[in-house]
Amino acid sequence: MRTESLRPIDGLRLAEEYRALLRPDESEAGANGTVHRLPRFFYEIGSWEEAHEIRLAPHFTLAELMLVDCREATLLLRQFPHYVPCAILLHARFLEAFRREVDAPVFISANGGYRSPAHQIGGAKSIHAWGTAANIYRIGDTFLSDTKSMEKYRTIAASLGLAVFVRPFGREKGQTSDHLHIDLGYVRLTPRECSEAS
Amino acid sequence: MLSVDVSNGLREELEALALKNKARAIGVALHDLETGFRFSLRGDRWFHAASTIKVAVLLAVFRAADQGRLRLDDSLHVRNRFFSGADGSVFRVSQDRDATPELYAAIGRTAKISALAHAMICGSSNLAANLLLDFVGVEYARTVLREAQVDGVELRRGVEDHGAHERAINNEATADGLLSLLSAIRGDFLTPESKREVIRILLEQRFNSMIPAGLPPHATVAHKTGEISTACHDIGIVYLPEREPYIAAILTEFDPDREGRRETVAAISETIYRSLLQTKPKSNED
Repeated sequence: MRTESLRPIDGLRLAEEYRALLRPDESEAGANGTVHRLPRFFYEIGSWEEAHEIRLAPHFTLAELMLVDCREATLLLRQFPHYVPCAILLHARFLEAFRREVDAPVFISANGGYRSPAHQIGGAKSIHAWGTAANIYRIGDTFLSDTKSMEKYRTIAASLGLAVFVRPFGREKGQTSDHLHIDLGYVRLTPRECSEAS
Repeated sequence: MLSVDVSNGLREELEALALKNKARAIGVALHDLETGFRFSLRGDRWFHAASTIKVAVLLAVFRAADQGRLRLDDSLHVRNRFFSGADGSVFRVSQDRDATPELYAAIGRTAKISALAHAMICGSSNLAANLLLDFVGVEYARTVLREAQVDGVELRRGVEDHGAHERAINNEATADGLLSLLSAIRGDFLTPESKREVIRILLEQRFNSMIPAGLPPHATVAHKTGEISTACHDIGIVYLPEREPYIAAILTEFDPDREGRRETVAAISETIYRSLLQTKPKSNED
């Protein structure tokens, strides 16, 4: 299935039960005092089969970027439709560029792509709620769990643009020790056909 | 033979076994559901629980399922990163020391909670144990133990948490405590479905060189072993087709380089079995 088949949805028009979990367009204060607005426009995904069929980039399906575990809110975990922020398209393109640079398969972890603001890990304060972050646990045959491999791929990712942020390797707060965290910042995407008027 | 005679005889035999095999300490607790016979030799002595603590985690997981806090067919993210019970610092478990190396191939992906529970018990996977404990929470697991009226099992942290170990924060248990844990599993603390599933998992134990090794071939045992440098334990429910089951908790402590530890536990198991054959069935008037 091609990405052209994706239909954008204005999150503000979703049913109350979904709005309570996705919190479209709401402001969220970060840990350092910065405030960001959560995504407003989403793609509606009808089934896992559909998610597996939708190829956002040559080597990344939508399913890979929306796989979560049972820490996700029940409604968003157990039944379809699921909703993913539209910016996930841009993120997939970035990941494809990263894959080209490293010249090896790039594996996104469970909980490592989009997580809703209701997910127990990070919640709305996590940039994963924007669909613009990825946790990569393996590149090719290499599990990223040591300084050497992490630094190698961190350098490559950071070279792809000023907007790219890669968490440093380490075991302190804000660092990662068992995966590579890459994000593009708090990107919100408004599809051409959508209006931001309330 | 009177129970008191069996008790005395068993006590003497076990003490002799411990002495002969140079065990630093042993703790044994027993409840025969055929006769009602109960026995405890230093059943209140605390030991490092080693992997027997995973039975407490198993109870907490199934209690959580019974309470609707989780579903056994839910998926959990498999990652090897845990927080120390001592200071919250990050630690990992070692694949080399894990009896279920195949679970490490799933790092980054997900595994069903039911599969993790199976790996934690049957293959004694430390990774699975920490993932499950991390998910249900130490405090919740402790609450479950209290609700099940299990005294003598102190669950304080995940496994391979060396930082906590250095600060003497360990999982500890007594033989009496682990006996009451198995009794809670066999009783009505869990729903019948959960109880059946927990016992099925324990019956599929892959490490059978201790309690089962001291029994006749037709015995089946729902059990969990636990071994670290100084501790060597096995706790289980022993099923024999000709009689009601009995529950046994055998805890031992040795010097780290001492050999024959598992054989000692197996010998204790055999001694218990022989002793129970001498006890009289419960009277209907009991």
